[in-house]
Parts: sequence; C-alpha cells; structure tokens
Amino acid sequence: MSEIRVFRAKKVITMERVQPIATHVAVRDGRILAVGDADCAAPWGAHETDDSLADAILTPGFVEGHAHLMAGAMWQHVYVGFHDRIDPDGKMWQGLTNADEVIARLRQAMSDLPPDAPLFGWGFDPIFLTSERLSRKHLDQVSPDRPVAILFSNFHLMCVNSAALALAGFTADTPVEGVVKCAGGLPTGELQEMAAMFPVLRRIGIDFRTLSQSTEAILNYAKVAQRAGVTTITDLYSMLEDQDLDLMLDLTSREDYPLRIVPAVGASGPPSQVAERALALRARSTEKLRLGAVKLMTDGAIQGWTARMRWPGYVGGQPNGIWNTAPDEIRALADEMQRRGVQMHIHVNGDEAAAVSLDALAAAARKHPWPGARHVLQHCQMMDRALYARAAELGVACNIFANHIWYFGDQHCAYTIGPDRAARMDATRTALDEGVLAAIHSDAPVTPLGPLFTAWCAVNRTTMSGKVLGAAECIDVSEALELITLGAARTLKLDTEIGSIAPGKRADFAILGSDPTTCEPVDLKDVPVLGTVFGGRVYPI
Amino acid sequence: MTALPLTVIGGYLGAGKTTLINRLLASDHGQRITVLVNDFGALNIDASILRSANAETIELTNGCVCCTMRGDLFFAIGDILDRTGRPDHLIVEASGIADPSRIAAVALAEPELAYSGILTVVDGLNLTRQIADPHISDQVAGQILAADFVAVSKVPREDPAIVAALRALEVDRWIGADEVSSILPLVLATELTLSPRMPGEASHPTYVHWSEAEPQPMDGAAIRGRLMQLPPGLLRLKGIIADPAGGCWEVHVVGTRLEIAERAENLAGGIVAIGLAGLTTEAQLRAWWVG
Repeated sequence: MSEIRVFRAKKVITMERVQPIATHVAVRDGRILAVGDADCAAPWGAHETDDSLADAILTPGFVEGHAHLMAGAMWQHVYVGFHDRIDPDGKMWQGLTNADEVIARLRQAMSDLPPDAPLFGWGFDPIFLTSERLSRKHLDQVSPDRPVAILFSNFHLMCVNSAALALAGFTADTPVEGVVKCAGGLPTGELQEMAAMFPVLRRIGIDFRTLSQSTEAILNYAKVAQRAGVTTITDLYSMLEDQDLDLMLDLTSREDYPLRIVPAVGASGPPSQVAERALALRARSTEKLRLGAVKLMTDGAIQGWTARMRWPGYVGGQPNGIWNTAPDEIRALADEMQRRGVQMHIHVNGDEAAAVSLDALAAAARKHPWPGARHVLQHCQMMDRALYARAAELGVACNIFANHIWYFGDQHCAYTIGPDRAARMDATRTALDEGVLAAIHSDAPVTPLGPLFTAWCAVNRTTMSGKVLGAAECIDVSEALELITLGAARTLKLDTEIGSIAPGKRADFAILGSDPTTCEPVDLKDVPVLGTVFGGRVYPI
Repeated sequence: MTALPLTVIGGYLGAGKTTLINRLLASDHGQRITVLVNDFGALNIDASILRSANAETIELTNGCVCCTMRGDLFFAIGDILDRTGRPDHLIVEASGIADPSRIAAVALAEPELAYSGILTVVDGLNLTRQIADPHISDQVAGQILAADFVAVSKVPREDPAIVAALRALEVDRWIGADEVSSILPLVLATELTLSPRMPGEASHPTYVHWSEAEPQPMDGAAIRGRLMQLPPGLLRLKGIIADPAGGCWEVHVVGTRLEIAERAENLAGGIVAIGLAGLTTEAQLRAWWVG
C-alpha cells in the first residue's frame, strides 16, 4: 500500500462545483485521493499530514496553453528589456527605461565574459524608449572592439556595435535594406529581419535552433514555470527532431522535473507527412511529455502589420498582412488532420485569418465527422461575436492572448486598428457568453509567463498607459482563474487529468501566498507564487 | 574562399517550382548543386536526377522561413557554408507563400554568399484567378514583383491571358519555365565566365552577350555611375575592374540588384554581361559601359 500524504492548507481552491473550497487534500501515487477537511483521507486508512503548506493557498496547478521553450533558453544571455522580468533562478532584472541603462547593463554583463567573447542581449523594445533610436554609437560605448549585439523583443530586429558590423563585413556598400544606413550612408547598427541579422548571429555563435532544444533550455523552462505556478505548459511550434525528442523524453522523465510539457509540432510540409509525424509522436507520449498535436501558423502579428485583416484593415492604411500558410494549405491541412484524428492549434491574430481557419475547420468537420476534435484557435485577437459564435457551434476552442491588452493595447489604439476595434480585442467576455471553450495565455517569451498576470489582464483590461480597453469585455476573477486552469486544460484535452483539484486528478497545485479570490481584482497580478506541487511533491521557490 | 552563389526559386503553390528545379538539375550544368527545399507538398525532387547530377537536396520541414522566430532556413544555409566541401551553387526552393526577396536578401548580406537572383515561377493556368482572389493576390503579385527573372509554366509564354496578366503587373520580360537552356544562364550564370570566349562562339539565342577581357581601369565612382543607370534588358553582369589607384572592384548585377566590393589584391580583370535579345543589343551593352 502506497503512502498517503494529506496537505493542510490555509485554503484549497478546487475549481470544482461540489466542493469549491477545502482545507485539506490527500495525495497518493502522485494523484489526488481525497479533498475536504482534516478527515478527508480517513476512509482510505493510515495517512500522514503535511503541514508545510499550512499557511498557503492551494489552487490547481496553472496551465499555460500557449508558450514556447525559448522562454527558458533566452536567459543564457543578458536581458535588456523595458519591463521587469524574473529569471529562472529568481533574480529580478529591473526593466531598462533609457539607452544609458541599457549600456550600463551590457557593461555589467561583459565583466563576466572572457575577453573578446561576443556579448548578446535580448528583450529590447524600442517602442517604449523615448530617447534617440538605439544605434552602434550607443553599443560602441559598451565595447569598441568586442562584438555586441542585442536582439529586440519581437525577434525581427537587432542592434549591433561597430565591431559586430565589421565582423559581418557590413559597410556603406552592403546592398540590403535590412542593414539600416544613416543619412551619411554608413550602417547605423540596426539590422532588420533575419537576412540582415544572420551574418552577425552566425559569427557570434547564436543559433536559434539550438536555443530551444538544449538541456539548459528544457531545465530552465521548468524553473520559469515553477515560479509562475505552472505545472503544465505547451511548446507551440516545436520542431522535435529525433534527437530533440530523446533529450526531452530523458529530461522530462526525471523524477524531479516538475513540469508536464505539451509540444505541438509545426504543421509544415505535405499534410499526410504532418499527420504521420504527429501520430508517430503521439505513440511516444509519456506522463510528462504529451505529444500528438500540431501547430499551424496562418498569419503574422497585428503590431507588425502582418496579421491578415478583414475590411477596413489597418488604420494607417498599411497593406493587408501576410499568410505564412496560404488559405489553400490551411484547408488541406485542416482536412487531413481532421481525417487522421490529429488535433490542431491554429495561430490566428487577424480576423481574416480566424474566418478562413473556421471555414476550413467547418469544411473538414463536414467531410470527416469527429466529435470532440477540439481544434484550438490560438491568439484570437480580433475575433468578434459572430466568429466566437461560429467557433462555439463548431466545437472549436479559443485560446485568447489576454496579455496583449496591457503590453500592446495602447499601440493598437494609436497605430494598428484604432480605438474601436482595439476595445473589443481579446474579447474574453464575448467568448464565454457565446459558450466557447476558452483559455487565456502569455505566448511566453513574447510576454512573460505568469498566468495570474494573464488573468489580471482579462479581468481588468488595463493598458500600460492606465486606460481600460473595452470594459464590457472584462471577466470576473473566478472566471479568469478557471481560464488559466481548467480552461487551458480543456484546450489540451487534459481536463480529465488536470485543471481542478478533484479525486483522481494529478496532484498538481500552485502554492500561493494570498487568496486570489478575495483580493481586489486589481491586485490579482501581485498574488505571490510560492512554488508548485507536482505529482504530490512540493517544489518551493 | 569564393562566395557561394545563391538563387531563390519562388512562386505560388503549384506553380511548378519543383518541376523547374528537376529540369535544371537534369540539364548539363556541370556544377555541384545543393537544393534547400522549404515548400509545402514539395520534397519531390527526383532522386535519380540527384544521383546522376552530383547534386543533393536538404529538406526543411520546419515551417515557413519568413515568420518563425527561429529562422531555420538561414541557419541551414550557415551549415552549408560551414562545411568543408561547399557546393558550387545553392538553390533555395521557397515555400509557396514565401516572399522570395526576404530569403534572397541573405545572399546580399552574407559576405560568403553571392546573390544569384530570384526566379519566380508563374502558374500560367492559374495566375489570373490567383490575382483575382483577395485572400492571396497581394502575396502572389509580391512574389512576381520581387523576381529578377520570371518564368511562365504550363502555357506558352505568348499565351494572351498570361501576357495580359503579367503586363497588368508591369512585368515586361519573362521566359518559359520549360526553356531550360534559357534558364541556366540566368540562374547558374553559366555564360558569365570571365575566361575568353572561343572565336565564333555563339551566345544563346534568347540572349545577347557582351564581354571584354581587359576592361578599362576605373575608380569606384565611375563604376557606381554606370550601375546607377542600368540599360534596359540587362539581366546579369559580372566584372573584375582594376582601380587606377591599385586593387580592383568586383561587381555583380543580377536583375536590378547590385553588389560592388573593393578588393585589395590585383585579380585578373574582365567583364561579361548578358541581356535579353529584343530588349538590348551587344552594341548597347558595350556603349553603356565603355561610353
């Protein structure tokens, strides 16, 4: 007979209808045996009580339905972003608000490097810096002879110093638009898009492919998750070459790896091959590595003017965005995945992308009935009521990018889609009212992982400038908590196993320092995360 | 080490990119070619051709190059550059919705690559419909406008419908996608050798050909002045021009894209250009450069 451990907590928020609040939860074999008061385990015989969480609030372990393994990997390099961020080891990195602070941070990081080693920073976001545009002149102050490069938070731009320009051979004669030149014709140090970034990246030894599939990246992912109270997370658009899979299987199967990862492999290539790969991967699933879903990119990003928009498009009159997968391909993939029984996560930012994807899913569903297919639209940023109604009637889940409201809401009002459509962006209230199976997400590392912050965004809809964007789309705290637990679990078809605290489910909890259901809704993001319980084992931070 | 020439083959889904590449590989090109394939539904490069043609393909199943954060295609190109035995030419088959110029730009940026053009294959049967489809028209047109060379598949190149559709996009020159011998000089620059031509050696009938074994030395300003005013019909140019002050200039023109680099060493000079017959003549090309 295995050992029964009963955790005593200040409060257990179960997200279950019958017993929403409890004080004790009993665990056996990594699963929840009983929930209730101090006697809840009595019918099961001998047990011991664990008081280590007696002062904490327990909720179901949070589920992040849209994130990327890179969220852990980037911390191998120095963070130079505008927002405060906490690294996997718990160190707070203060946000940098002007070029001088960026220079100082880079100088500091340089002191830890061997002489001549290139310096690589990440997370820089010029949108928030009011000072002069960052250029090689700033970075030359960091080092005149060591290559210095910083990657912007959107991953599409870099700024490098003169040494890095020289390393790549960039001069006034370099005939590429992406190598930005000043009025005098010399490169400014700003490099736009991969073609221009690549010659520098290559020479300073940065390869994005290995960034997301190293041991350190996978271990860091668990650390980042643990700090956010997350016990199950996705890696949407995973590549998972065979050697990557072996590494992931090895690391995640370790007894002390406190995270369940749900990768969705990129759906690119002939649909039949995509399906075969997904089905082969599914067969290799383990308890902590759930394989078999695919991720489909359709359009780009609204703030990059690459999302595909319905009329009237972008307020600045920019051309409509781009397809990363053409509508014909979307239809072909939807058909084949539906036929073969492969769940799809479909990236849709603009409303045209959502509409085309829903059409494709409807056609596929008519041809190959599969009740419970539960394909998921991801981001859903511009979906209106009619599109959500359509998703609901098709049984298509929607994972909504709530963090965008705070991080980019002001930009959307001013520059991309205007205040009226921005006010109905990421319309969580509408999704729930239309009966959509919904979740909310961070898209880490695009925005930091933190389901309580994500919930706060959906509840308050506050932008960085402090304005409320579309108050009518606010949801209440209990709804938001459901979206970051059961809601996200549903999108991963894992709601029979995780997402609430109920007998039979996995003993995965978030350990909180205060009660998210009784704090002021505006304070939701500040509820402290003290760690996680994963499979009945406590992982404090 | 000489730079590795890179050509991007673009074009919408089903346009015939793979077919065209298979034809190129099967032709008598005499080069070691690596093909990077990044297309949906592709991977149909003929294996028997690869074996006989001393070529290889590398499949990228990792998503569209334009958009994924990871930029796998670029790093795959890096892998090829880092090899001990580089191929003679690298062809990238772009995905059907990729903007080929975003890929080809790497050849202009990376010193170890030489830009060798974007060839966009146009689906002669479906272009009109594609341009009329509001979902995709911008991207289809963008691929064509990004091209240095346009090749029309499936219909004769004088087909009235395709002529009208391409003219509407302000495209004024194109070739047939099945005219392999016309495509080779464009893509693989097979006629752009600086070695002297045999007396009486004929150029390809599609093209006019002009070359000089010992071009007049020029400084950078003089060279740039000429490149600012490319003659209509010029398709490709390659030149090593001595600088009167020492050293030399290496010049490449592909379509409308220019590369000019100063070389400290005194390389053997020469200049060679090809243009499209009917749009230019050997005399016009000579007059443009020599004055």
